[in-house]
Amino acid sequence: MHRRGFLFGGSLLMLPLFAGAAQRSTRAPAARASAARAQAPRFEVDPMWPDPMPNHWILGSVTGLTIDARDHVFVVNLTDSFNRRTETGMELNPPGEGCCAPSPNVLELDASGKVVGHFGGPGAGYQWPEMNAGVGVDGAGNVWIGGQGGADSRILKFSRDGQFIAEFGTGGAVAAAGSERPDTAYGGVSPGRGRGGRGRGGPVRAPALPANSNSVETFGGPARFSFDAKANEAYVADGYRNHRVAVIDMTTGAIKRYWGAYGNKPDDSQSSKYAPGASPKEFGVVRCATLSTDGYVYVCDATNDRIQVFTKAGTFVKEASVEPQTLGGGSAWDIAFSRDPRQTYLYVADGMNMKVHILDRQSLKELSSFGDGGRQPGEFYAVDAIATDSKGNIYTAETYESKRIQKFQFKGVGPAPVNAGVVWPAAGRSAKP
Amino acid sequence: MIRSRKLVFASGLALALAALGLGQHVLEARVARESGHAVMAPRFEVDPLWPKPLPNHWVLGNVIGVGVDAQDHVFIVHRNDTFDAQTEIGAVQNPKLSDCCVPAPPVLEFDQAGNLINAWGGPHAGYDWPSSNHGISIDNKNNVWIGGNGTCPPPGTADCPAGTIDSFILKFTHDGKFLMEIGTPHATVDSRSTTHFGRVAKIAFDVPANEAYIADGYGNKRVAVLDMDDGHIKRFWGAYGHVPSDSNPGPYIPGAPLDPQFRNPVHCAEPTPDGLVYVCDRVNDRLQVFTKDGKFVKEKIIKPWTPGDGSVWDIAFSRDPQQKYIFMADGKNEMVYVVDRQSLDILTSFGDGGRQPGEFFAVHSIATDSKGNIFTAETYEGKRIQKFVYKGMGMVAENQGVVWPFRR
Repeated sequence: MHRRGFLFGGSLLMLPLFAGAAQRSTRAPAARASAARAQAPRFEVDPMWPDPMPNHWILGSVTGLTIDARDHVFVVNLTDSFNRRTETGMELNPPGEGCCAPSPNVLELDASGKVVGHFGGPGAGYQWPEMNAGVGVDGAGNVWIGGQGGADSRILKFSRDGQFIAEFGTGGAVAAAGSERPDTAYGGVSPGRGRGGRGRGGPVRAPALPANSNSVETFGGPARFSFDAKANEAYVADGYRNHRVAVIDMTTGAIKRYWGAYGNKPDDSQSSKYAPGASPKEFGVVRCATLSTDGYVYVCDATNDRIQVFTKAGTFVKEASVEPQTLGGGSAWDIAFSRDPRQTYLYVADGMNMKVHILDRQSLKELSSFGDGGRQPGEFYAVDAIATDSKGNIYTAETYESKRIQKFQFKGVGPAPVNAGVVWPAAGRSAKP
Repeated sequence: MIRSRKLVFASGLALALAALGLGQHVLEARVARESGHAVMAPRFEVDPLWPKPLPNHWVLGNVIGVGVDAQDHVFIVHRNDTFDAQTEIGAVQNPKLSDCCVPAPPVLEFDQAGNLINAWGGPHAGYDWPSSNHGISIDNKNNVWIGGNGTCPPPGTADCPAGTIDSFILKFTHDGKFLMEIGTPHATVDSRSTTHFGRVAKIAFDVPANEAYIADGYGNKRVAVLDMDDGHIKRFWGAYGHVPSDSNPGPYIPGAPLDPQFRNPVHCAEPTPDGLVYVCDRVNDRLQVFTKDGKFVKEKIIKPWTPGDGSVWDIAFSRDPQQKYIFMADGKNEMVYVVDRQSLDILTSFGDGGRQPGEFFAVHSIATDSKGNIFTAETYEGKRIQKFVYKGMGMVAENQGVVWPFRR
């Protein structure tokens, strides 16, 4: 009540200024033209991508997205992140009637946005994660899937049409007995507050396991993958519970090496809640470990608001903070590289500030950003994953109650504003022929 | 264009799913519907870029009402306390978590281009604000009426005593200056009360008679008719024109005998110039039609297998002089029906579930502007408004699916 009262008072005070504020918003591009602008890639959201899905399927919280060599888009989503009463009513209807039904866990879309493949869920010979998160496609076209559930400790590998290949990290996971419970508040669990959201009736989750960042047998909420095909190595962002990067043999899954923040041996007992201005000695939630073509590993230390760069051997090279005042889930949720040969730019998905940051990859300086909070095209709520296709387009995935994927078309490099806001097509409202 | 688009869509789906070899029977049913015999009906296309992005990192909560004023400005009311504090509105936490986002004020006014023109609402000295605002309507004098469907669970607060409900409606000027509070606040359910309401869903107006029709509501099970100036309750009635009863009917069971009373919520009560009143009996999956003095005329059952939240959420009329069409929002099956107002037959429908433009999650409220465009509001985690541009009459499929303006 106090908060709403405050807002009311604030809005009254704002009224005389309000038209100005609204105009500033709509006229922003022109106003910003006079400001100093860096050269940076520019993007426009495609509000008509992807196509509507068949079968009244809807996406749950989208917890991973990647692009394969054919520019197909793979996403993983949480098929139990729905409110059955309000969202997935088909279960209780006569067959085929009404709306909606959960889509399969893994979806493959072609570049035009059509669903061309799907699989996922429990099957013979492997244990499907409690909460699938993170998807990678390796050089052979195989699909890797991690998990962010409190007890998810394994990595699954499938052919791209969903044939089970391997399960890694099957060694004994450490029981939670006696140790402190990890903070999984930002592990991707859809919070589902508000009416008709997930809220009550959401799935009951397994008790969370503690971090075990020095295990060579299991993972701790593996979040993302990238691949060094030549070395037959996969880089695992490990993860939602563990505080390390793990490098594994792509065939056997054996953990070959691993490291924590600054390349040190991780020490879970020293991992602490982030305070702005601090330089934590350990990683917080490690949400990406992405290999560049010139052989560096870019790590999203999400809750510590930073990106750390390493050699493939795990030697620390440099780091950069991204919106270091950010608390909660942090600012560095996922990254993707621009597709020019030099991978000049780094795109950072920031699920707390609801935007995508564009960084110069060498200097790690921010050049521009786009996006704002909301449910319209080009807006974000909890942008969780980001990837680029061969044409330089950006794709994003949103988790929690946003439950969608978006495409941002690459519009060339040019003078770009510090903050481009919501990047709608310049043609705006006119329909294409 | 529509026709070719549909063909592309249908064949695209066919290809995709033939390749998958899964969900085929469902697919066939849908394609059959979409390519089924076409009908003449008003056509619409979603405008994916309406309204414009909000300033100040404002975001919408459950959007729970939409209305259009005489100058075609669009008003919405949303619940600005329906956010996840940690992930959605980090900018207003203490300590501040992030730059985004901030709850927008409850009442927002947009012009036709989608620019935000004004923002107001919320608790203030001098009147009660509903614990859960619900429904927004603009009368012929440009005044704004707001209902509320909240309850006050224990332990309650001074503003919301435990065990009471939102039992009043509010009337403001166009710019949010308080005019009138109608109904004793914080009362309890009583469908025969002449002094208060029971969790009002929506308000509509019969201007020549100077009367307001109240969909009453989430607690009461009646239509109530008010004097627009002094607010006194002139008459009321229940389903089939019966005297309303507050007995508990239990849950709606598809196939059970027709309920002699409305169920909660009575979600719309819309008078027409030709002297009828259309009432959304949401959970009973039906639209009932009355004379203005409450005599039952007829009813239309819509997808009576729909459990839970029901199929008949809100209606708006086409803006031709005869109001030939009813546009009906179904927030459970995630579509809008185009209904012939005389026969009450469904001519066509559009929409499907999802978070993309033209898709819906819990499409809760619907309104039309003078140009015949449709505006929709989505509650729960839909949390948005959409505009569907009127494209004139034409031949359309019985079930149009997602009505996009073009296909690449």
